[in-house]
Amino acid sequence: MTEEADLDRVRELTASALANLEQNRRRIDDLNVYPVPDGDTGTNLTLTVRAIVESLESAAAADRPTIARAVARAALMGARGNSGVIFSQIVRGAADVLGEAPSIDAAALAAALRGASDAAYRAVRQPVEGTMLTVIRELAEEAEERAAAQPSVPDLLLDVVKRGEDAVRRTPEQLAVLREAGVVDAGGAGLVEILRGIAAGVAGEPLPEAQPAEGIGFDAIHQELSRYRYCTVILVEGEELDADALEAQLERLGDSLLVVGDPSALKVHVHTDDPGAAIAAATAVGVLESVEIANMHKQTVEREERLLEAVPDAEPNASDVVAVVAGEGNRRIFESLGAARIVEGGQTMNPSAADLVSAVEAARAPEVIVLPNNENVVLAAGQAAGLASKPVELIRADTIQSGLAAMVVFDGSRSAAENAAEMRAALDSVATGEVTIASRDVELDGLAIRKGNYFGLVDDNPVAEGESFDEVAGAVVERLLAEPRDVLTLLTGEGAPALDALLRRLEEDHPGVEVDVQEGGQPHYPLLLSAE
Amino acid sequence: MEGGSTLSTSLGRITITGDAVAQIVGHTAAQCYGVVGMAARGGRVGRLLARDRLKQGISVGRSPEGLTIELHVVVEYGLNLAEVAATIRSQVAYEVERLTGLTVSAVEVHIEDVRRGS
Repeated sequence: MTEEADLDRVRELTASALANLEQNRRRIDDLNVYPVPDGDTGTNLTLTVRAIVESLESAAAADRPTIARAVARAALMGARGNSGVIFSQIVRGAADVLGEAPSIDAAALAAALRGASDAAYRAVRQPVEGTMLTVIRELAEEAEERAAAQPSVPDLLLDVVKRGEDAVRRTPEQLAVLREAGVVDAGGAGLVEILRGIAAGVAGEPLPEAQPAEGIGFDAIHQELSRYRYCTVILVEGEELDADALEAQLERLGDSLLVVGDPSALKVHVHTDDPGAAIAAATAVGVLESVEIANMHKQTVEREERLLEAVPDAEPNASDVVAVVAGEGNRRIFESLGAARIVEGGQTMNPSAADLVSAVEAARAPEVIVLPNNENVVLAAGQAAGLASKPVELIRADTIQSGLAAMVVFDGSRSAAENAAEMRAALDSVATGEVTIASRDVELDGLAIRKGNYFGLVDDNPVAEGESFDEVAGAVVERLLAEPRDVLTLLTGEGAPALDALLRRLEEDHPGVEVDVQEGGQPHYPLLLSAE
Repeated sequence: MEGGSTLSTSLGRITITGDAVAQIVGHTAAQCYGVVGMAARGGRVGRLLARDRLKQGISVGRSPEGLTIELHVVVEYGLNLAEVAATIRSQVAYEVERLTGLTVSAVEVHIEDVRRGS
C-alpha cells in the first residue's frame, strides 16, 4: 500500500470506531460503577478516540511506523479518565506491533492484541480482573487461538468481537462491585464497541445498531455512598409530567437522584433524610403508583462488616526480623518497620545468645533474620543463629543506624535469604556517625579525648572532641555530608541536648539535604546519625 | 493520626485509625491504573512512618472537614500523568469513603517518579 492509502485506511477505521462508540456512549456511561461510579466511562472513551481521529485529520502521509507512533501519541495526549488512560496504553501496545508488521494479516493482528494486552497490564501494580484489562487479554487470547488457521482479517475480527462480548458478559463474575450493581464492566464494554466499529470498517459493512440499554439503573446507583438515610423510590403517573421540574424540586432533598420515564409515568429515585417531602413533591404533580422506602442503615452495617473483613488475621510472614535495640523510640521505629521481635540491648547491655534464640523461636515466621545493631552483639547473634531450630540469616549491622537502613528494605513476604541479600546491600548505602560522652581520658587516632567531654565518630573513626555538643555534632555532620547526600537522619538519645542550633546550621549550610529527626531514646549516645 | 476517627451509629461507635485508612489507601492505590509503585517520600521519614510496604508513601491526616490523604506514587512511563493522578484522587477518595463512611476532604497525589517498563 502507498503511504497515502495507509493513512486513509487508518483514518477510516478510527472514524468507524468513534462512530460506533458514540452510538453506545450513553449506555456505557450508565454501566460505569467501577472504579468510581461517576458515569463517565463512555464519554471518556469517546473523547479519547475522538482525539485520535482529530490528530489523524491533520496528519501528513507517512510510513506505517510513523503513523503508528502518531496514533499512540494522540491516544496518550488525548486520554481522558481511567478508561481513556488504559485505552491509550492498549493503543500504544497495538501500534508498536502494527507499525512494524510487514503486512496486516491475522498473525499481525493477534500479535498486536497481545502487545496491547501486555502493555495494558504492565502499567498497574495490581491488575483488577473483571475490567477492561480482562477483556483486552481475552481478545488477545482469542486472536492467537484463531490466527493459527490463517483466517482473513475481517473474519478474525468478527470472532474477536464475539469473544469480547462474551468476556464483557462474564465481568460480573469476576468483580463483586459489578455483580452487586447488576452491570457489566463499562470500560470493557466500551473497548468491544471500539473494536466492533473497527471490524465493521475493515469488512466495509455499515455499523450495527447500538446495543439497547437494559437492566441497569437503580441498582447501579445504590453503589454510590450516600450520606442520607432513606432510599426512596416513587412511581408517579399523570399527564404531561415534567421530569426536569420534578428533578429540580427533589434535588434539594438529597443525592443519588434519578428521575426517568415519559410524560405519563416517571420513576423517581432519591436518597434523602426526608422521604415524606419527596412523596409530597411527587404527589403534587401526579398520582402515586408505588412507593418504596428503604432504610439504608442496613447497607451501612453491611459496609462495616466489609470493612472488618478487610482486616483479616495476618498470615505469618515468610520471614521475620529479630532486632536488638536500645531505646524506646528506636524500638518503636523498628516495630513500625515490621520487626517481629525486639530484644532490648546495646553497647553496655548485651543480650545473651539464649535471649536471642528464644526471640527467634517466638517469631511466627519459619525463617528469621537477626539484626544485632551493635558490634558487641554480633558475636552472640552469630551463636544464636547456629543454635536456633529454624534457618536464621545474620545481618552484621553494627549500629542502630545501619540496622535501620537494612530494616527499611525488609519485606515479610520474601524469604530470609532474599531479604538478607537486599538488607546487606543496604548496610553499605549509609554512612553512620555518633556523638557520645567520653567515660575516661583517652587518645584515639591522635585525638586527645577528655573524660566527660562530647566526642564524635564517623564510621567508627573519631572526628571531634569538645565541651560543646553543638560543635562536636556539627563536625560529625560536616564529615558525613562531605560527600553529597540526600537524607540525614538524626536519632536523639536519652537526655540529648537541644538540636535547635544544629538544625539551624544544617538549614543554612546544607539546604538541599533532607533532615529527619527521630526520638531514639538510646542510652550513652546523645545523638546517632546516618547519611545516605 | 493517633486515636483515629469516629463514626457514630445506632449500634455503637466505630473508631478507624489512620493506619487502617492508610491500608485502604495502599490497597486502592495499588489497583489504580498507572500506578506501578509507591515512592518512599521524605527519605527515611516517609519510610519510617510506614508499617509496611503497603502504606509506604502514604500519609493520612485529619482536618475539620474530613480526612486528608497524601500519596507519593510511581507511575508507568508513557501515560497521561494528569489523568492518572485525577483517577487516583477520585478512586482513593471514593474507596475510603465507601469502606469507612468517613468524609475525605482532600487527596493529594504526588507523582514522584515514572518507571520506564520493559
